[in-house]
Amino acid sequence: MERFLPDDLLARLRETGEVDIVAGIPSYNNVRTIGHVVKAVSAGLAKYFPEQRSILVNSDGGSGDGTRETVLGAEVDHDSLLLVSHPVKPVQRLSTPYHGVPGKGSAFRTIFEVARQLNAKACVVVDSDLRSITPQWIELLVRPVLEREFDFVAPYYLRHKYDGTITNSIIYPMTRALFGKRVRQPIGGDFGFSRRLALVYLERDVWGTDVARFGIDIWMAATAMGEGLRVGQAYLGAKLHDAKDPGSDLTDMFRQVVGSLFGLMGSYEKIWRDVKGSEPVPLFGFPFEVGVEPIQVDVERMIRSYRAGVKDLQEIYGEILEPETRDALGARAAESTDAFHIPDALWVHLIYEFAAAHHQKRLDRDHLMQSLVPLYLGRTASFVREVRDSNAQAVEERIEALCRIFEAEKPYLLSRWEPSKRGEQSYARTV
Amino acid sequence: MRELFEKAFVAPLGRLADQFAGVVPGLITVALVLIVGGMVAAFARMVIERLLRWGKFDRFMAQTELGSVIHRTGIFRSASDFAARLVQGALWLLFILVALNALDTEMTRNLVVRFVNYVPDLITAGLVLLLGSLISHFLGRSALLAAVNAGWSGARLIAGGVRLLVMSLTVVVALEQLRIGRTALLVAFAILFGGVVVAGAIAFGLAGRDLVRDWLQAQTRAEGRKEEDFRHL
Repeated sequence: MERFLPDDLLARLRETGEVDIVAGIPSYNNVRTIGHVVKAVSAGLAKYFPEQRSILVNSDGGSGDGTRETVLGAEVDHDSLLLVSHPVKPVQRLSTPYHGVPGKGSAFRTIFEVARQLNAKACVVVDSDLRSITPQWIELLVRPVLEREFDFVAPYYLRHKYDGTITNSIIYPMTRALFGKRVRQPIGGDFGFSRRLALVYLERDVWGTDVARFGIDIWMAATAMGEGLRVGQAYLGAKLHDAKDPGSDLTDMFRQVVGSLFGLMGSYEKIWRDVKGSEPVPLFGFPFEVGVEPIQVDVERMIRSYRAGVKDLQEIYGEILEPETRDALGARAAESTDAFHIPDALWVHLIYEFAAAHHQKRLDRDHLMQSLVPLYLGRTASFVREVRDSNAQAVEERIEALCRIFEAEKPYLLSRWEPSKRGEQSYARTV
Repeated sequence: MRELFEKAFVAPLGRLADQFAGVVPGLITVALVLIVGGMVAAFARMVIERLLRWGKFDRFMAQTELGSVIHRTGIFRSASDFAARLVQGALWLLFILVALNALDTEMTRNLVVRFVNYVPDLITAGLVLLLGSLISHFLGRSALLAAVNAGWSGARLIAGGVRLLVMSLTVVVALEQLRIGRTALLVAFAILFGGVVVAGAIAFGLAGRDLVRDWLQAQTRAEGRKEEDFRHL
């Protein structure tokens, strides 16, 4: 295995010895929020795991705003926590810069390696821009791993109906249809996982790919499901986080996340081919209602982007999509803004055809993923218009209906997965 | 009279017959080489087209500007058809050279030598064209996707401009390699390219000033702007 931790960190880890729990926080210029996250994690470890030896690891991407200093200096008021039993060992804390491709995935890799070096039984990772994290999140993400032998615990949040649209329209329905597990927030960003799974992650040679960036979350979740490990969910309430990362561009983010999922479909083809339907996964914690922040969406801009894509990217779509799908997309583009709607069946076929084209490398994969962005924006606009007056439960039922179509249409995916003579002829016509 | 007739007609005819007899084997060889060459070239075209189709050459060429150009000409069924016909033509040329060589005259010998010396340049120019068309197609698509996703109008125009620019450079380099109109070509290209840049700058400055003003205002105007604060992930 490639050794990538710096010598001073290795020396520090040798001094530390073994721990039971590693809590990881990736960061990059998060000085505004990371102090709160560090306090919540430290409090959670002290309050819920007083008997366990634990360490908090901040894996930083070279912040210049004092993020690392804040991590090391954040004070936790143990008296205010009303601890039943005081921690046998205080929570240790270290902050280290990670090496490799700049991104969340590289930060996680360092945390996985720290967990391996310290022989940790359970790990938890949380985002550094969280404003709604509480100490109980740590318990809910760690305890199923530590005491119930779960390998991967995904978060289950309450989010605004317009929030997490890549998750709702692609990632959740696709992972559910592929692996048969109803993990509602596969790319939530806050996870608990076992040592066994951390070792599986470290074995994989993916650290020069999009997994090292935004692709890490879907990769972690899909790997856990694809490897057939025990997967659960933890009910964490609302997810409130800092304003959007200014460095995150939708096209890049979309390409990395959805492209990573399409790439994983190739790796786990033997697994998902035979999966039919889906089953719920255990949910830990006590579900409760919370208010979520209102969100503004510019639907007209999204529809404009969709129309521009359908008009200008015809040649590219000709290499990816079936003629009937292209015709249907063209017809939707011609609709008035008030009547604009992309039906579920069309969306599912579209995504499956893109996944197949990605697998068959019909064109450059970056171009392929970029060309999906306008269509995704169109679908998001359609969804927003559709659920504008719906409550949270109705929206959840709407997403459930979409998931059932993804599952029902899986034979369509299989029929397009391998290049067929019909596909070749269709391709020859369009080129 | 008879002597005169022999000197005037029979002797020249005899010499002509002798000369013709000397050339005939060469001509027969030329004819045979051309017939066999034609058959070999046709057979090679058939085999190569099938091999290329089997090796998904059309799909590869679809990623190049050359592939698009071949498709747009409407002359060739596919890139495989084009490549197979190219090989057929090259084989034909080769057999014509062999046939010329069979005539064994000074002129044909010089022609063959000059052509053989030119072959490396032809191959290099062909490779430059192929590579340039590949890059042009890729960059054109990158520009198109970036422009569409950035919400710019005239995305196809931008992509077309990128493709044209790269292909123009490629053609200039290829012709330079073939030593065709070097100076005239470079001067023409410099004038053309410079003209395009100046015209573009003037057009953008005059016709696009409102667009630029709006864009700059949009970039600097924070108030009243519809912000999206939802997360896609």
